[in-house]
Amino acid sequence: MKNKLIIYAALTGIILVTACKKQLQEHAYNSLIADNFYNNKTEVLSAVLRPYTHANAWVTPSGQDSWWRAAELSGDQLAWPTKGRHGEDGGKWKRFHYHTWTTDEGGLNSAWSLMYWGMGLCTDPIEQLNKRDISRMGITQTEKDSYIAELRLLRAFTYLKLMDLFGNIPIVTQIGIPAKPETKSRAEVFKFIESEIKASIPAAPKLSKTQIGRMSQAGAYAMLVELYLNAEVWTGTARWDDCIAAADQLITNAGGGPNGALALDPNITDQFKTTNDLSKEAIFSIAYNYSVANFEPSWPGEFYHFKQQQIYGGGRNGNDGVVVIPGVYTTYDGVDQRRSNWLLIGTQYQFADGVTPVTGSEEYNGQPLVFVDNIRKNKTGSTVSTMSEGEENSGVRFNKYKLGNQIPGPGGNPPIDPNYNNTDWNIYRLTWIYFAKAEAIMRKNGGAADAVACQLINDCKKRAYSTLDWATKAYTPATLTLDELLAERGREFIFEGFRRDDLIRFGKFTTGTWWDHVPSAPFRALYPIPQQQINLNANLKQNPGY
Amino acid sequence: MKFKILLKASLFALLCFYLLPAMAQNKTISGKVTDLETGTPLVGVTIAVSGTSAATNTDVNGSFKLTVPAASNTFTVTYVGYKPQQISITGTSTYNIKMEPVINALDEVAVVAIGYGSQSLKEVTSAVSHVDAKDFRQSGSRNALDLIQGKVAGVNITRTSGTNPNSGVSVQLRGVVTVTGSASPLIVIDGIPGGNLDLLQQDDIESIDVLKDGSGAAIYGTTANAGVILVTTKKGRSGPPRFDYSTYFRKEYIQRRQRFLTADEYRQRIASGDIVQKDFGSSTDFLDQLINHDNLSQNHNLALSGGTDKTTYRASINYRDLQGIAKANARKEYALRFSLNQTGLNDRLKVQVDLATNFNNANLLGGSGWEEEQTKNPTLSNFNPDGSYRFDLTSTNQYARLFQETSYRKQQTSSADAKADLTITKDLTGTVFGSVLRDSYVDGQYRLKASENSLENTAFPGGGYAYRGTYLSQDFAFEPTLTYKKTIAKVHNVTALVGYSYRYHIDETFSADNRGFINDLFHEDNLAQGTALSLGKANESSNKSDNTLIALFGRVNYAFSSKYLAQFILRREGSSRFGDNHKFGYFPSASAGWVLSEEGFIKQIPAINYLKLRVGYGVTGNSGFSNLASLVTLGGGGIYLFPDGSYNQTYGPNRNPNPDLRWETKRELNIGADFTLIKNRLTGSVDVFKRTTKDLLDTYTSPQPPFIQSSIYANVGTISSRGIEIALGYDAITHKNFKWHVDVTGSTLKNTLDSYSNDQYKVLFKTFGGIGGAGALGNAITTYEGGELGEFWGKRFAGFTSDGKWLFYNRNGDKVTNDKINNSADRSVTDLAKIGNAIPKYYASLLNNFSYKNLNLRVFLRGKFDYDILNTTALSYANKTWSGNLLKSTFDKYKDIKDTYMYSDYYLEKGSFVKIDEVTLTYNFKMNNKFIRNLRVYVSGQNLATITGYTGSDPDFISDTGTGPGIDNRSAYPSTRSFLLGLNVGF
Repeated sequence: MKNKLIIYAALTGIILVTACKKQLQEHAYNSLIADNFYNNKTEVLSAVLRPYTHANAWVTPSGQDSWWRAAELSGDQLAWPTKGRHGEDGGKWKRFHYHTWTTDEGGLNSAWSLMYWGMGLCTDPIEQLNKRDISRMGITQTEKDSYIAELRLLRAFTYLKLMDLFGNIPIVTQIGIPAKPETKSRAEVFKFIESEIKASIPAAPKLSKTQIGRMSQAGAYAMLVELYLNAEVWTGTARWDDCIAAADQLITNAGGGPNGALALDPNITDQFKTTNDLSKEAIFSIAYNYSVANFEPSWPGEFYHFKQQQIYGGGRNGNDGVVVIPGVYTTYDGVDQRRSNWLLIGTQYQFADGVTPVTGSEEYNGQPLVFVDNIRKNKTGSTVSTMSEGEENSGVRFNKYKLGNQIPGPGGNPPIDPNYNNTDWNIYRLTWIYFAKAEAIMRKNGGAADAVACQLINDCKKRAYSTLDWATKAYTPATLTLDELLAERGREFIFEGFRRDDLIRFGKFTTGTWWDHVPSAPFRALYPIPQQQINLNANLKQNPGY
Repeated sequence: MKFKILLKASLFALLCFYLLPAMAQNKTISGKVTDLETGTPLVGVTIAVSGTSAATNTDVNGSFKLTVPAASNTFTVTYVGYKPQQISITGTSTYNIKMEPVINALDEVAVVAIGYGSQSLKEVTSAVSHVDAKDFRQSGSRNALDLIQGKVAGVNITRTSGTNPNSGVSVQLRGVVTVTGSASPLIVIDGIPGGNLDLLQQDDIESIDVLKDGSGAAIYGTTANAGVILVTTKKGRSGPPRFDYSTYFRKEYIQRRQRFLTADEYRQRIASGDIVQKDFGSSTDFLDQLINHDNLSQNHNLALSGGTDKTTYRASINYRDLQGIAKANARKEYALRFSLNQTGLNDRLKVQVDLATNFNNANLLGGSGWEEEQTKNPTLSNFNPDGSYRFDLTSTNQYARLFQETSYRKQQTSSADAKADLTITKDLTGTVFGSVLRDSYVDGQYRLKASENSLENTAFPGGGYAYRGTYLSQDFAFEPTLTYKKTIAKVHNVTALVGYSYRYHIDETFSADNRGFINDLFHEDNLAQGTALSLGKANESSNKSDNTLIALFGRVNYAFSSKYLAQFILRREGSSRFGDNHKFGYFPSASAGWVLSEEGFIKQIPAINYLKLRVGYGVTGNSGFSNLASLVTLGGGGIYLFPDGSYNQTYGPNRNPNPDLRWETKRELNIGADFTLIKNRLTGSVDVFKRTTKDLLDTYTSPQPPFIQSSIYANVGTISSRGIEIALGYDAITHKNFKWHVDVTGSTLKNTLDSYSNDQYKVLFKTFGGIGGAGALGNAITTYEGGELGEFWGKRFAGFTSDGKWLFYNRNGDKVTNDKINNSADRSVTDLAKIGNAIPKYYASLLNNFSYKNLNLRVFLRGKFDYDILNTTALSYANKTWSGNLLKSTFDKYKDIKDTYMYSDYYLEKGSFVKIDEVTLTYNFKMNNKFIRNLRVYVSGQNLATITGYTGSDPDFISDTGTGPGIDNRSAYPSTRSFLLGLNVGF
């Protein structure tokens, strides 16, 4: 009896167990398993384009602690002061402003992590494309080479910006290998980026209407311009001629253009308006489109007031965060249209009627919101102006890129913008190339401008003035000093993520004094390698001084 | 798949029949059972023939009649509260039995559920707590676990949403066992694993058992890490048909409102220049406008039961209408529970069928917005001068919402289970158990075109908003077992169990919304009519996921002369979630007990009536983590511009795969004692435990490069806890007419995060407990490797400068301003320090039960002791930088601050409290008529008073479970004091 029982029990057991393993297979109902992908051109493209949506997070002022914040908030133009109960945020904005960041600064680790993630998102499709047969993917060999070249360029761009912040970083071109990559010197990283760019240019697509928002030959040349412009700082060896040569490739349209030949936009608004995908000077941008795709620009959170929508007639507000440091506003002269067009100051009125003041919601709850060119507690009559002493209306505000209006203005004017919220964010634009070339010429020349340099800057600057005003504003070799160039760069590229680099290149980053900032130690010109990363990978070396 | 289960079931049944031996002849016994002291007949006494399944219950006159196999020679008579008797079947067929009451002894017959079976409490060798219906809290439960809050040492049940009828409880057993895995105990209702608490009405519950330690819980393998709670529902008893009706009505009153300024006080502060704010001219108590002062909750339960000695049934129908203290915050439920037991095949086959369902209509609109309303400038109004609702871009008119929006849930939860026990031989029983659990709901929301949400939407201004979402989850379980029971040589009692378990869970969701409606007629019933959909601005989503658990398990219980006890468990379990390299794990346990009071040398000590020592060790697992975590998957990365000008989804790798992913493993050692002392007057148990959970699952930072993602889901850390639990019952007075019984429970625990690193992944600390509010204050709790859980790490307050700016101590003890403080988490440089701990060191409860004749008074006190709470309301609203209403204390205790929000020990307060949780006065009518069997009337008051030094919201409702406890909720659901009038009648 007992034996029988055991046999039956064992039998049942065996049947049950063998049935088990198969039933423990996981089902992916709403995710893609990687091996089942890359089966047609659309799938290939959706993988090739993935790193761009990610770049939105780290290269634009997206509200995340990443490259943009590190590249701007330690400079002399922008800051995120504490405003009443808002903005203390663990003191991180002050540490940027005072250059007192720590080696385990969360925001810097986040930047590192987001950027290397972006790098991985380039490498992964490169590996996938390389190991698959083109016929299975439904693309031609030329298309495959073009995608890979484009991804290598975008990866080089990611390394370029990583090097910009951290200097000495590991170089990895495979997923997961090596397990613990070691730090390379900034000069080595520079070399790697340069060779990657040069190797990828031939197969990479030229910039064209269908390549907007993506890397192209034009983007590659722009990267070379940035590399060579900063080569002296980054490698110890100046490369002014290479810089000029790369800039000329763009100026002569060798890399293609987004809307016909690459050229300066005729004014100071085409690059920043809702239809700036039609700009002639955009070289590389993140292409947003809310109308058809719900993919909206990320910057409102960073710059906008809690009730900003009433000011411009749209639907997006922000965290009342980044403002212009006191005094920057007055570096623009009174007739410089960039001041009135790109910055917001004074009493703000409702877009809908143009006369009712927008009211505040914090210190000025129920009272008119007036942006002021100072950061202090005016409400209580205080004159103390520090990073800690802001109010909701402190500081002049960002108005460079426009979101457009969702409701008509007074009397239907302006009418509703059909491209509301479609504005692209430019990473490289031709104006910047002009400035770089002019600077290279001047530096080659011992800091003195020549007629060519002046012409380059004047071509850009004159767009900000009426013909009448411009007559007295044009630069001459006598007035265009290096200091003046730095100031003009500030006026032209404010908010665009280049200020820290400029200050470093002009030797002002750690020696300069501005508003609530005093000079810091020279080693602060590089950010520390995040301690969190060093803890995970002993082969990473901390930057000197930290 | 289902076919396979069927196949297995039939195979199993076949096996059972194969082994079926021949049947035998029968005889009949009958008699009457009475109380030895009073002589009153006892109703519902169990008469069971030893060694068979023949059993019955006495009827309303205390009489019984039972057919028994001819070979039977003894039967047992058992009744709750009385000493059981074993009676020999002699020549006579009629027995008059007198039963002797036992008062509060460790019940001779108390049986506890231990999973896949039950066991006499006396024979239990693991840490099991048993709570009978008579010990339940009488507060009118919103969730079945409310009934045992504070009743079981070591089980923390916290209502972080207060008395919100649409909220559950957070349960934690013996401390934190996981960081990211499932932290809730496994609920087993009548054998249904993963049972749904919504299916339990308090009047249907017979008892609740808690398997606290690993040696008992191991039988549930990878779902048992957070403990197991076994719920047994009431079943029918043979005898005449019974009706039991019970009801209560409850009314709640708000209490412990935080003291904000009234409109007049606010005006005075403006006038005196204390605050620079605007007087808008109105006077509004915003919070009060959300309060449902007319709330009245009610519960009605009618149970029908009865049966013969072969068939018993119980059916109950329940209606309850729970109204919250907030407006538009209610829940109406209609529930049905049915159980049928039938014995056949000459008493060899017992089949039980249970069906339960609950129809729930919940109003989910109200019950929130508390922070916003109590901190608005009180000189504002909810209305404009013209009588329309006042809207404002940076706040929400929470009052207007109640009239301009709807949000409901229509839910049905059902379960069905069937269990067949077949006595194959005298010693061997085969059981097949199968269950289905189904939970589904439809959510609907609509916001009128004129509502604030609609008007302030800039894409479709004034276009309304409609939403519908559906949810369906299904759980299937199939669990056949074989039980072998044998007494060898009269002293060796062996019970062995083997079983197989197959569990499958699947859930599916769908939701869609739309805006831009031309009128308010359709609400969410014709979603496609909005224009947002055609413009691509409407949202739509759907999801489906499933997982499977498969296990084989066995258990052996051995008792030698009721003196030496032992239990061994082994479960082999696999989950579809585990990585390819670790599909199955083994979960063993062993425990032993020694009944010292059976030993001669103890028997001589008269003060000791019963004494058992237990020791147990068990391994359990946790498979409660997300699906697909071990696979390489691609995730949508957002929409981007394709070359043809269209925008499409992009895909990239969205996780670092981990084929080594496996369960978290908990090892637990438990040493305990159960005792009855001093003439059975003092009963109790003590447990000491140490548990360690290894292979903690969490997202660990992965080095970048070479990994793509910054984190990987991996098994790395170790968390442990050790503690002591005590439960005591004492009969202080046992006079015939006046009795006073005291129950005390207490527990203490130390919970540490032992490690969070291995050679691959390093995490030196983790932070928890978001402080929230403006100023991005981050997390309040930092847990370092090797440190205790719940530690507040922050700045140490050192005073204010003359102009009201914060001063803190740096690591050298110097007072410095905030910008000089080093906020690094690196303990070798930071100025931050350990400033408190959010986990109560001690939990205790005290129940006093007084009865005088038919009158009973119950006073229940609960408390948590020795811990800190971060008073976030004071942090945010006792600071003049806030432009709305302020706490009154802004102008005394906090008057010196003229600076922004700052987290430091300045806002930590002692959380210790004692609460008068329940006072219930009951009158039991002595009924001596044919129409009414029993009648009980009671009044009960809940949450009557809280004695505490804490100045924020009710500390009882502040989370004390999980890894980020002790942060007061600025928007806490108001604490209420409630009064309840109840009636139970049986006929």
